Amino acid sequence: MGVDINNSGPLIRIDEVSKIYHHGRPDEVCALQNISLEILQGEVVALTGPSGSGKSTLLSLIGCMSRPTQGTIYLGERRVSRLPEAFLARIRRESYGFVFQQYHLLRDVSVLDNLMFPLYPAAMPVKTMRERALVLLDSFSLTDKQKTRVRQLSGGEQQRVALARALMADPPIIIADEPTAHLDAGLTAELLTMLTELHAEGRTIIIATHDPVVYQSSLITRTVALRHGKLVDDEKVGAGQ
Amino acid sequence: MILHPGILALLFGSTLILLMLLVAGGVALRIVRYWNADSGSATQLQLERQTWLVSTLLKYAFGFQIISVLLFLFTLEEIHPLFVGAMCATGSLNANLVGWLVLLVKIALVFAAAVWLAINYLDQRTEDTPLVRLKYRLLLLLIPVVGLDLWLQWEYFSGLRPQMITSCCGSLFSAEGEGVISTLAGLPIEQAMPLFFIVVTLYAVVLLANLRWRFVALRHLLFVAAVLLFFVSLAALVSFLSLYIYQMPSHQCPFDMLQGHYYYIGYPIYAGLFMATLFAMLPGLCRPLATTSSLERELECCEPMWLRLALFGLILFLLSSCWQMLFGPLRLLGY
Amino acid sequence: MLNFKLLEYSLSSLWRRKEKNLALVVVYALVIATLGSVLLLTHALKTEAVMTLTASPEIVVQRMLGGRHELIPIDYAQTIAEFPGVGKVTPRVWGYYYDSLVKANLTLVGLAGYHEQLELLAGRFPQAPDEGVIGAGVADAFGPQIGDLLVLEDSSKRRTEFHVSGIFRSQSNLLTNDLVVLQEGALRDFFGIPDGFATDLTVQVFNPREIDTIARKIAYFLPDSRPITRDELLHTYDSLFNWRSGMMLAVFMSALMAFLILAWDRATGISAEEKREIGILKALGWETSHILGAKLREALLISLTAFIVGLLLAWLHVFVLGAPVLMPLLKGWSVLFPTFDLPRVIDLYQLAILGFVTIVPYLACTLIPAWKAASSDPDDVMRG
Ligand SMILES: Nc1ncnc2c1ncn2[C@@H]1O[C@H](COP(=O)(O)OP(=O)(O)O)[C@@H](O)[C@H]1O
Ligand SMILES: [Mg+2]
Repeated sequence: MGVDINNSGPLIRIDEVSKIYHHGRPDEVCALQNISLEILQGEVVALTGPSGSGKSTLLSLIGCMSRPTQGTIYLGERRVSRLPEAFLARIRRESYGFVFQQYHLLRDVSVLDNLMFPLYPAAMPVKTMRERALVLLDSFSLTDKQKTRVRQLSGGEQQRVALARALMADPPIIIADEPTAHLDAGLTAELLTMLTELHAEGRTIIIATHDPVVYQSSLITRTVALRHGKLVDDEKVGAGQ
Repeated sequence: MILHPGILALLFGSTLILLMLLVAGGVALRIVRYWNADSGSATQLQLERQTWLVSTLLKYAFGFQIISVLLFLFTLEEIHPLFVGAMCATGSLNANLVGWLVLLVKIALVFAAAVWLAINYLDQRTEDTPLVRLKYRLLLLLIPVVGLDLWLQWEYFSGLRPQMITSCCGSLFSAEGEGVISTLAGLPIEQAMPLFFIVVTLYAVVLLANLRWRFVALRHLLFVAAVLLFFVSLAALVSFLSLYIYQMPSHQCPFDMLQGHYYYIGYPIYAGLFMATLFAMLPGLCRPLATTSSLERELECCEPMWLRLALFGLILFLLSSCWQMLFGPLRLLGY
Repeated sequence: MLNFKLLEYSLSSLWRRKEKNLALVVVYALVIATLGSVLLLTHALKTEAVMTLTASPEIVVQRMLGGRHELIPIDYAQTIAEFPGVGKVTPRVWGYYYDSLVKANLTLVGLAGYHEQLELLAGRFPQAPDEGVIGAGVADAFGPQIGDLLVLEDSSKRRTEFHVSGIFRSQSNLLTNDLVVLQEGALRDFFGIPDGFATDLTVQVFNPREIDTIARKIAYFLPDSRPITRDELLHTYDSLFNWRSGMMLAVFMSALMAFLILAWDRATGISAEEKREIGILKALGWETSHILGAKLREALLISLTAFIVGLLLAWLHVFVLGAPVLMPLLKGWSVLFPTFDLPRVIDLYQLAILGFVTIVPYLACTLIPAWKAASSDPDDVMRG
């Protein structure tokens, strides 16, 4: 069911995709127009562009959170653009790790539960899940905070919990939407280091950002620029060359 | 009569089930008209989410309907002292022409809802959900039956008058009576018992063959065997199994066994029979529906589970119904 | 099959919103407790009445004159006793007495008809015309004890004094709560019943199958008599109790409705925090059906908790406190029911009804709001 990442073709293939909100109504918004894009395994892609240019919309399509109005999306060999929502949800929890701008943690729940709750629908037994969570918390030096409620954590700690949560299912693809928008320089650097490690483990990373510190960092192998829902620039940079 | 608490509860429950199905029916109409799996439109997304509402509504309605059948039988048992001549639930059923009809419709509904849920389950497991339109057309057909259930129930209960003189199982199920049921009850045990065991054996053999091989013809044969098993078992319950269960040479009520003084033995009996019938019918029923490769794959996946459940049902049914026949002190046949 | 992880999530979710859920459970439990009290009480009263009746004679024969209940000549007993299958025929002398001091109805009976059913707790049966025994209920309610004087006024306002010589009890409370037993002669004097007449006759029938036949025979040979069989009384009681509890159930159904509207409101107006939580879980891979399942499991947990709490409350209310809230509504036929010790019977059937009418509609009502909450867009988290 998950993604076969050992195939020879591109990991993600986006073909003539458009996303129109409120289609056919007077308030219709064309968030993305005829985007075609292929992402290879192991790339670190920065999606750049001003606010409102469609970065988040594109990420949600790549991350199987929504379906395109037109066009086709392939994940590996699998056509995901017309799958029923239940199948998309399954792909999300098995193949993707998400990091959001506002972290989106469950505030009144302990750190450990924050890591485990999202995977409850999966077939994984609770014991395995807990072991995996403890290993992750250890590697993010959060072991002593596992019982703490997220509400009581500092910004940096929350960011680490969010990243640990993204790694729970050991996903091949990490998707991050403006992950540094609320971080100071020190925490941004810390996040970039962690992402670098994840890249070194062979994961594909896609980051939407308009923070130059991120898209100019050495981690990024490719930048894709969007403007008004159109793809305006696509270049390979840094380590990718 | 209507103001009996049990009757009130039943009418209330059936009204609720009807309301739930009407909500589901509204969605079904829209799905039949607008469903388009290839569209990325908001309407399609909305419809897709509503299918979850409908399947949950149906699941709950199914559960409520099962409880409602049991409550119906309990209520009959409870009100029988009000009728002259009634000694158990059967007597209450006979007090009014539509009594048996209500029971029949209720049981038919339980089966229909279960089959719908099975088809729905199969369909929701595929990525292309090819059965959507069919499913929702079937759902629309279910609604009138639920309405009929409510209406018949109303007719039955409002037609009941205390002091009414009715006949009970003693006369109804005895050889002297008229009609299908008494004919069954009047079947000499020397004929009924072999018939029952022949059908059970046939069913078991076909079921085991189905577990072993995958021919489509076998699935259809199993369907036939399941239907046979259902009716022959009901007949056997009335004609001779009940005698052993009650350990009395003349008590033939099919409902008393649900009562506490028979240790609720009726529950495993009927649950087992229901499972053995339903799950053996499903493969044969779903085969003609499996027109796409995705459905066929899912059906292959589900069939072994269904067949095993049917086998479990059969064992449960046989164990609980024949236990007394094998080990109880009552002997009807000299051997 | 049962996903314990998801159950655990539902529990955690309920716990995190405990104030809101607790309020819901309390109101819900109160509704269940009222409905439950009605069902428990009527069932207990019915059991009580049936117990009384099993102790009563198979047939009671009254005489009807001009459509009214008249005194019956004692020689009718002779005629009836000669029918085959009839055991003892006993003339009974009894009547109602309204005591204006305590404002209660008492039933005064002659000793003859009741001897066997009564069990003396203390003292002895009346041996002189000015002695009487009283039911334990009467003793508890009005306080006369053995040796005390019981002063009654007859129809011509003449005061008659009786010494309480004993206190009795019977299997059924209904019987003892308003009963005073006097010697037959004293009672005839008191009510002015002439010799040779009785209030009614009780007929003992050995074979229950013959009761109806004998009743018909009595009506045929003694055309001015009205035989009432025990079964007829049972039916009447049964219908009466069913009708009463049905009535009350119907009334309380509207209370239930009001509660359901509240529940609907609660379920629809989920908090912003809860919405946010659902959005996050959906984005991270929960399906609509998972959220829906979790919400419905929460509803089921709430229902079951409320059901158990409500049932306990109803039990306490009816059997420990003696149903102070409902008693006046239910037993309209007699003013006098002091500290009523109800038989503590709980019938599975009553529980099934109670569960069916309270849990089923609650679950049905939470379905649509739960689905609404569950079908948000997974990409909501990407916005704002
Ligand atoms: N649910 C929605 N309904 C209507 N318009 C939307 C919705 N989501 C996003 N948009 C619009 O789509 C465009 C792209 O938004 P978004 O992808 O969030 O941009 P970015 O992430 O680059 O800031 C914006 O004009 C935004 O207003
Ligand atoms: Mg954005």
